[in-house]
Amino acid sequence: MSASAAEVHCRCAILGVSAEAAAILLAFAMRESEAPAAALGSALERLEQGLRPPAGAPGRELLSLDVAACVRALQFHDRLMQQLAVIRALLTRLADHPLPQMAGFGALRWEELLAALRERLAAQTHDDLIELLVRTGGVGAPGGAGGAAAEGSSELF
Amino acid sequence: MARILAVDDSPSMRQLVKLALSSGGHEVDVATDGVEALQFADKQQFDVVITDVNMPNMDGIALVKELRRRTNYRFVPLLMLTTESTAERKQQGKEAGATGWLVKPFDPDRLLSIVTKVLA
Repeated sequence: MSASAAEVHCRCAILGVSAEAAAILLAFAMRESEAPAAALGSALERLEQGLRPPAGAPGRELLSLDVAACVRALQFHDRLMQQLAVIRALLTRLADHPLPQMAGFGALRWEELLAALRERLAAQTHDDLIELLVRTGGVGAPGGAGGAAAEGSSELF
Repeated sequence: MARILAVDDSPSMRQLVKLALSSGGHEVDVATDGVEALQFADKQQFDVVITDVNMPNMDGIALVKELRRRTNYRFVPLLMLTTESTAERKQQGKEAGATGWLVKPFDPDRLLSIVTKVLA
């Protein structure tokens, strides 16, 4: 193997390890965010039930408007999870391993990854990874295709 | 008041759909994917089913197809509530037998008015 071929091989290996580490961290963060978002939804439901004035009473309409605003705003979490899932899928494609070991957040594999990263990672690698991700493209572009329906739209068949 | 089944793999989305519909006086049950939704649908009759598209185990399109095979769900409104917005996916939903296609994020009042409309 020539020196330049060896260098390319090494860079690919580094990218693979970096991508796998990033995908695992992303999956961990996504999973951690589920409980707080669900707790927020539950709390909102309890508040709405507890504070709901009788029909026609002053404040009833205002409460409904505030709850509706919360429901709309809280959907950001679902949207964010979908976008992060796309990014995780892209990272998985770049990784050395297909990530089935992630079930249960495989601690052993994580230790191996950290060791590999410490050994191999250089500042240049970060730039390489970003460049590769940008070239792969398609991140967060649902609905970008022609004929796509607008967010919040509805159609009855 | 209608009995509605909301199907979504996201816990927060299930809660938000339930909150939006129950504030309109509807009784809402939730399921985490198509498989669980079918189990619920076989145990009790729902007046409307609102389902996400992308879910593990069984997606929303497959769920709609399965429900349409059942005689007691042949004419029940089945609404897709999803971030999927391409014409192709919408066509797949239509061909599967969906009654309508709603793109997230949803507006609670709009969702309630659509449910009222399909129940009429």
